[in-house]
Amino acid sequence: MAMTGTFGSRRLGRWLLRGAAGFTMLYILTPLIFVIWLSFFRQEIPSFPPDGYSLRWYGELAGNERFVSGFVLSLELGVIATAIGLAVGVPAALCLSRFRFRGREGLNNLLLLPLMVPGIVLGMALYVAHVEVEIATGLPILGSLGGLVAGHVLVVIPWTVRLVTASLAGFDRTLEEAAQNLGANRWTTFRRITLPSILPGIVAAAMFGFVSSFGNLEMSMFLVGPGRTTLPIAILQYLEWKIDPTIAAVSVIQILLIGAAMLITDRFVKISRVV
Amino acid sequence: MTQAFAATGAAPARKPAGIFLSAGSLIGPATIIVAIGLVFPVLILFRYSLNRFEPRVMMVEAFSLENYAKFFSDSYYIDIFLTTLRVSLICTIICLILGFPLAYVLARTQTRFKNLLIMLVVLPLFVGNAVRAAGWMTLFGSKGFLNSTLMGLGVIETPMQIMFTEQAVIIGIIAVNLPFMVLTLQSVIEGIERNVEEAAFSLGAPPATMFWRILWPLALPGIIAGTILTFILGMNAYATPVLLGGPQFKMMGPLVFGQFQLNNWPFGAAVSYILMVSTLVLTASANILMQRRYRR
Repeated sequence: MAMTGTFGSRRLGRWLLRGAAGFTMLYILTPLIFVIWLSFFRQEIPSFPPDGYSLRWYGELAGNERFVSGFVLSLELGVIATAIGLAVGVPAALCLSRFRFRGREGLNNLLLLPLMVPGIVLGMALYVAHVEVEIATGLPILGSLGGLVAGHVLVVIPWTVRLVTASLAGFDRTLEEAAQNLGANRWTTFRRITLPSILPGIVAAAMFGFVSSFGNLEMSMFLVGPGRTTLPIAILQYLEWKIDPTIAAVSVIQILLIGAAMLITDRFVKISRVV
Repeated sequence: MTQAFAATGAAPARKPAGIFLSAGSLIGPATIIVAIGLVFPVLILFRYSLNRFEPRVMMVEAFSLENYAKFFSDSYYIDIFLTTLRVSLICTIICLILGFPLAYVLARTQTRFKNLLIMLVVLPLFVGNAVRAAGWMTLFGSKGFLNSTLMGLGVIETPMQIMFTEQAVIIGIIAVNLPFMVLTLQSVIEGIERNVEEAAFSLGAPPATMFWRILWPLALPGIIAGTILTFILGMNAYATPVLLGGPQFKMMGPLVFGQFQLNNWPFGAAVSYILMVSTLVLTASANILMQRRYRR
């Protein structure tokens, strides 16, 4: 009796568990589902049920100066910041996982710090630092593109360090020794042995770095100069004013772009293993 | 210093000098960028918080705590702080309750859809908070899906006011933070052997007992990490309270940006520090408390 009771409650428990998991999944996806739905509405006002469906909001996006320039700036920022972030982050990760030295843990934490400081505080801090540097040097840093790029590099570095360090954690170093014993010089060893094994980490870092730069809102709000907007800022400012299928269509483009980036990355490295 | 890969101790005979860089030059650039780009600004921000704001000249050098005193002596600001705290706590608790089942199922599932399911959890996380707020606005507006459906069914006569309430903000922040909670819990649960659960069941433990006696204590590091992460994200929320809470609803994040827009940098800096330090103190003490309570 006790056995069947336990089995019965286990089966019930399993269904409850699946139901709860499904509910949470639906909760997470609900806002995206509604944004996608709204982007196809024929009428401009988001009322239900819709009068009909149309693709015209997508067609009109190309003519929307604000969103197009925001999209281009976010794309440029993401690419430049990711390139610089990888260029300095990958060597740092190699160093952190290769060498045992005093203060290594501290340096590791320092490089992860940009992810810990709240975006809004980081933005405010960068702004006042730009004010001070501009006063001290006379260089026009405040609201400059360079200042914005520097801020975004800061966001990319911790992702690179974290993901590349993680990809080296299970690396067998005797492979490098073997290669060198067989006569490979260090450059060849790096290129043929080390690089292939950290490549998934680099790809994942590029994806996470790019996406977090592309979607950065809080920090960027403080750093964009007059007449310059990134896509997330343009979306926020539009939504403060109104919600309509135009903004939904912009959002869907962003969802598609990020979804595509994730699928491409997934071909190199399983997303479920790096997040 | 100049023995990068030679640190492996391999092939001492071959040392083409200068091809590989020293440890210092490998990690140096990133360290300098973070030190100059982050540590220095955060220190300047603290110095600013001690300055004085004068409406016409914007900022006067000073060395006083009056910005902090202003915050803690005005019930308007204390209310904003308490609202932020309340919203973050509620969101964190609901995230834990909602997130655990999904994290467990994701950790234990054997199907080939696992990767796809995890991508579906990660995708919203990357899409940005403003985009997700747009989804909730479509759902919650006075002509939105929820009100239209309920009115169509005759449940309510006039549309409910959901937008621009604390409830809307809480619902929105939960959705924003759930992926972080789920992913943190999932990675820890994956490290717990299925066997220990089976052992509990075969000894006759009902699922609830198994959960409280086995799963909960073993998953505790993940629970603490996920709780702290979601709490911090809740405290620092910006886009969700601005868009779903409207102009009247205030949390700490929007308050910082508001002060920045008013050009009151000293007070904005002080609010930043109050936000950062209070979050740090609360999470650290919660961490210590939890660790002590569950140490066996």
